Amino acid sequence: MTNSTDPPDYHVPKTYGTRQDPEEQRLRNRMAPGVLCRDGFLGHDHRPVNEIIASDRAEVDRLGLTSQQLADRLQEILEATDPAPGATRDVGENLEAKFTEGMGRIPSPFADGIFPKGEVELRRTDTGETLTFTPLSVHLIREHDFYQGHGSRYRIDPARLARVLGME
Amino acid sequence: MTPALSILAQEPISAAPSAGLMIILISAALTDNILLTRFLGMCPFLSVSKQLKSAFGMGLAVVFVVTCTTVLNFWVYRYLLVPLEPYGVPAESLKLILFIVVIAGFVQFMEMLIERVSLGLYFSLGIFLPLITVNCAILGASLFMVINVTSKGFDTLDVLMFGFGTGLGWFIAIMLLSGIRQRLKKANIPPALEGPGITLIITGIMAMAFVVFQGMIKI
Amino acid sequence: MDALVSILLSAAAATGVTVGLAALLLVAERVLISYGQCAVDINDGAKRLDVKGGQTLLSTLKSEGIFIPSACGGRGTCAYCKVKVLDGGGPIVPTELPLLSPEEVRDNVRISCQIKVRNDMRLAIPEELFSIREFIGTLERVRDLTHDIKELTIRLVDPEIIEFRPGQYIQIEAPAYGDNPEPVYRAYSISSSPSMRDRIELVVRRVPNGICTTWVFDRLREGDPIRLNGPYGEFRLSDDASKKMIWIAGGSGMAPFWSMIRHMQEQGIERDCTYFFGAVTPRDLFYVEELARLSEELPWFRFVPALSGKDLPDWEGEKGLITEVVDRHIQDGSDKEAYLCGSSGMIDASIKVLRAKGIPEDRIYYDKFN
Repeated sequence: MTNSTDPPDYHVPKTYGTRQDPEEQRLRNRMAPGVLCRDGFLGHDHRPVNEIIASDRAEVDRLGLTSQQLADRLQEILEATDPAPGATRDVGENLEAKFTEGMGRIPSPFADGIFPKGEVELRRTDTGETLTFTPLSVHLIREHDFYQGHGSRYRIDPARLARVLGME
Repeated sequence: MTPALSILAQEPISAAPSAGLMIILISAALTDNILLTRFLGMCPFLSVSKQLKSAFGMGLAVVFVVTCTTVLNFWVYRYLLVPLEPYGVPAESLKLILFIVVIAGFVQFMEMLIERVSLGLYFSLGIFLPLITVNCAILGASLFMVINVTSKGFDTLDVLMFGFGTGLGWFIAIMLLSGIRQRLKKANIPPALEGPGITLIITGIMAMAFVVFQGMIKI
Repeated sequence: MDALVSILLSAAAATGVTVGLAALLLVAERVLISYGQCAVDINDGAKRLDVKGGQTLLSTLKSEGIFIPSACGGRGTCAYCKVKVLDGGGPIVPTELPLLSPEEVRDNVRISCQIKVRNDMRLAIPEELFSIREFIGTLERVRDLTHDIKELTIRLVDPEIIEFRPGQYIQIEAPAYGDNPEPVYRAYSISSSPSMRDRIELVVRRVPNGICTTWVFDRLREGDPIRLNGPYGEFRLSDDASKKMIWIAGGSGMAPFWSMIRHMQEQGIERDCTYFFGAVTPRDLFYVEELARLSEELPWFRFVPALSGKDLPDWEGEKGLITEVVDRHIQDGSDKEAYLCGSSGMIDASIKVLRAKGIPEDRIYYDKFN
């Protein structure tokens, strides 16, 4: 269950520089499946984390938006739904959301905070398009322009996010 | 051959011992910069130069390791391999293996020593030490040292200056690149070039700038 | 002949240097890395340990039988294993910094899985950590309570008995499996009564993308061994019997209250208690018959389940969000205290309502999942 619309065998070869970069290596280790969460943050994406971030940031720029704006809107929706776990709420024009609680906390792979678990499912009532995000994924978008690797459970393509939120 | 390619074909310009230790130092650091002239040690150069603080740490670690290992390898070469040569031991091929082993062992030893002596230093420098073992500039320095020893008759002190100069050159190069990369953060780079792309272009331009030092020191 | 000699000599030279270096490194390791015996003083002499240095503080304490809580098994990600190191902790390790607030750094709080024992140390540890044990148990029974909640009954094997207060939790170890490279630990409130000392019950709800709950739901089978440690936690019935109790929970937040109510019934603790349990639809409810029966049998206990879903024509109980239901039922909070267990969003919203009714913060006790 992913948000990515890429074909399943999307694959980019490993780039050379990653092997000797301690920061990158540490990040990849924390983002691997089974370390912080079951599926990890990278999916089947072999690109270095910096490249994933650069590529998504460029897309956000092309949309004429900032990650800050997108994250703020997601945060708004999160705060509207998390006092009422399990209940579907209207959160905007043609937009409804439901918060499913999850017991426990999850640290950020960038080692800059610990966040509650749980997920919000967003649904456009007109197109039926859905998208799922978590408190941690909002932080990753806001602070790091990190939308997660292709194939990750909570990856959101910036274009898709803008479309669902009606912000394009 | 074009002037650019001829640089690669040149022998390291190094001075005879009589010309002074300072000349050895400066030529190793500038005119024969191991990274910008000889193109060794690129991998950590590209990846660690992202942050000024790590570049500084890595640079210092490289200076230290290169200085010590060139001297150690010099002793291995002169006091083990050279005496065995008459018996048919091929010094040229064996030195490659032995130098690598000495470098790896030395780095391991350093890691332990630093952890014991200064935890603070270990935390800031420690992560770079295992990376240095695979830095080809370190091995390269030792191999160039052998060329200098056989052609110019270097002694221990000369080798020490040579090693230190080589490390210093690498340190200068990575600090320069890191400084430039900090400025790059505000610049408008085409997405396709972000990361390794623009870094290599800059490195190339820096290398061209260092060409200016060629021919400065002639003995 | 010459060729043979030169080959042998080359091999000898190469081997000699390599072995020499290896020997040097071994000696260096023995001399430099060995930290000798270190004296660890805990709580100003309450406990004194004499340990061999070189391991992390967390694992050193563990091998001495003192269990500091840890969810990530020492990988430096969960920040559960905080310990106050008054002396001998050395400089702060870079991996600790993101997990500590500036006040904690000032108070000498350290992440015990990231610091090594290299010299004598003085520590300050909360008293109750001394009664924590590591247990090996067997999964005796697993039962589906709802579509995404299971009840586990674990029989304790070694040690055979556990002592705890209702409201406390244990940590179970999800072993390495599939894509999961290393064991992780996750906390669950004990839902059984303390009188059942040789077994414990847990209420586990599937967490999306969760490492442990995926293991529990997809792989764990009756008869499998389970490692756990505990009991931990400060969440428990207060000592002030004069106050009426309000319990609020949702989902797996039922666990500590299921333990508390059965304990109270067994021990004849007759404190006035109203238990509000929130869910969305009837299929999310569980233990309803048992709690309804207790509600009838015990004059001082009332069970109020509430559903927030729309279109529930057959539901005759309370409707709406749990906070709305509490708001309707409670008017004057001056003689009451509240116990909350659930997600941080639900707890924060409930606290707002309770305070508006006049229950002060120091009489609101909560066990926040997050």
